[in-house]
Amino acid sequence: MNSSFLEVKNISKTFQPGRDVQVAALADITLSFNRGEFVVIHGPSGSGKTTLLNIMGGLDSPTSGDVILDGEKVTGVPEKQLSRLRRDHIGFVFQAYNLIPVLTARENIEYVMQLQGRGRLECTNRTQQVAEKLAIDKLLDKLPNQLSGGQQQRVAVARAVASSPKLILADEPTANLDSKSAAGLMDMMQALNEDEGITIIFSSHDPLVIGKAKHSVLLRDGMVASDEFFG
Amino acid sequence: MFFKIAVRNIRAYKKRSIITVILLACTTALLVFATAYMDGSHERMIRSSVEIYPGYVQITHRDFRDSPSLENLIFDAGQVTAALADLPGIAVLTPRYESFVLFAAGNKAVGGMLTGIDPAKEGRVSRLWESRKQGEYLEETDSALVYMGSELARRLKVGVNDEVAFVGTGADYSFSADTLRVKGIFRTGLFDFDNRAAFVAKSYLDRVMGAENYATHFIVLPARPEEAAELAAAIGERLGPEYEAASWRQTMAGLVQAMRVDTIFGYITLGIIFIVIFFVVMIYTMLAVSARLREIGILRAVGTEPGQVWRMLVMESVLLALVSVVAGGLIGGSLAYYFKLHPIVFSGFEEQFKQYGLAMTDMPTAFAPLVIVRDMALMFVLSVAATLYPIHKVNGYRPIEAMHHV
Repeated sequence: MNSSFLEVKNISKTFQPGRDVQVAALADITLSFNRGEFVVIHGPSGSGKTTLLNIMGGLDSPTSGDVILDGEKVTGVPEKQLSRLRRDHIGFVFQAYNLIPVLTARENIEYVMQLQGRGRLECTNRTQQVAEKLAIDKLLDKLPNQLSGGQQQRVAVARAVASSPKLILADEPTANLDSKSAAGLMDMMQALNEDEGITIIFSSHDPLVIGKAKHSVLLRDGMVASDEFFG
Repeated sequence: MFFKIAVRNIRAYKKRSIITVILLACTTALLVFATAYMDGSHERMIRSSVEIYPGYVQITHRDFRDSPSLENLIFDAGQVTAALADLPGIAVLTPRYESFVLFAAGNKAVGGMLTGIDPAKEGRVSRLWESRKQGEYLEETDSALVYMGSELARRLKVGVNDEVAFVGTGADYSFSADTLRVKGIFRTGLFDFDNRAAFVAKSYLDRVMGAENYATHFIVLPARPEEAAELAAAIGERLGPEYEAASWRQTMAGLVQAMRVDTIFGYITLGIIFIVIFFVVMIYTMLAVSARLREIGILRAVGTEPGQVWRMLVMESVLLALVSVVAGGLIGGSLAYYFKLHPIVFSGFEEQFKQYGLAMTDMPTAFAPLVIVRDMALMFVLSVAATLYPIHKVNGYRPIEAMHHV
């Protein structure tokens, strides 16, 4: 269960906001994550948490370095291949929920499964199962704009989980939630991590999230300040 | 799933969808109507000018058109009639004998053209019978009775039943003269024609001119007027090299040229409109898809392949274009049908039309379903093509760039 499956090797990312201006968001980051871990990457604003998460998920490319997920390279591969990698192996939970606005909660959850080519019945059953676990089974026929922030975030988690990914990357998932919703969401995600064995990596500076992690990475100025394991 | 998202997006972005549909539907309607108007007006021009007198196909001696002299007449009209009797595609075949003469009445003398015709057949190949204003039209057995243009009658100061003398050159170069009684007066609206043309029964003129069985030319009314050129070729082949059969496109080269110029200008105007519309649709699509870049980024982030996003956006564009061209086709087609039944009247342009030999002020549109479908297909391709670059452009963003796009 503890075999290492996500490796971040010497990742650097430099942005060029102006012609002669360069900003180093990440500098030579090397990290290793084991299968089934519940990880938090924390640090002050601008420390590079989101950038690192985006690169690990293949949403952004590094200036240099490699990311390897379960033996498969995430960096330097064509966009089509990356799309398939995200579709089949990575679930995302974004700070701003990022649900597809024209689809209902049910359709949002089923969307990635349908991309994977799963049958209608399988999609329906899996959606129901995940929705019950996240207590959103009564909200499945609502559009995102008919849901509260907490409800939208739970739908986003359900979408990420339903496709049975190897890895869930959650970028500040509790940032827009009140403390009660945030605690509820974290409990649900912890349960999913334990029940389904999915590796979950958060970026956050919420003490509630940090407190629940078993592996904590502190970033400061784009560099790893600490990499600790608990419990 | 992509079809469902495409349909939902069209419904969700109502304002954009409605503006796009209105823009494309109006352009389609414009194209359909403009084409119908152009085709209809050309058809009307042909009918107006060809059917008044010149006819769809003319048969002459091979040299007559270049050198219209008495040596180049058709000297055996009966043989021509017999040779073409069983040629398919001919609705009416009738000979004419034209002769330039001097008309005189009282103290007035006016030059003009006296033509011998077969009145019954002529009534089917030209508008002479329909253009009658006073008196009666001719009959085959009429002798020394003339049917003349209104302007000619006015200049000679004659009316129905008045006498008119003429003198001209017979087929054997002798003087031919006689006195005619005005049986009827016609007015086609073409000033030149009404000013110089007069008609008598051909059997009578043949006798007076010493031109029994002669003809300056034959006029053919094709069973299918749009196939005049093909029929002319078939007639030419049947009659051999001694004769020339020319369709209205050859005998009325000036009109053909005018129509060609009109068509070119029509298409240039439409082309400019389409280029403008193409870029308007392209820019509008660019703005519309750019506004949805974040949504596209989300789709990509959760694993939708670039090709699938492309397919979904093109599907939207196809659906909008389909609705637009169908609506535009119906509007344009309805207008074309209405103005075919109720032609547009240009009451103030009579003189301008006359300069081109056209006696008309009304312009009916053409209503051809296949042409309408062709125009709709053209607009469909154009409107979808205009969206391809914007779609390609937004699809080139990486997911994170798209999601963070403002």
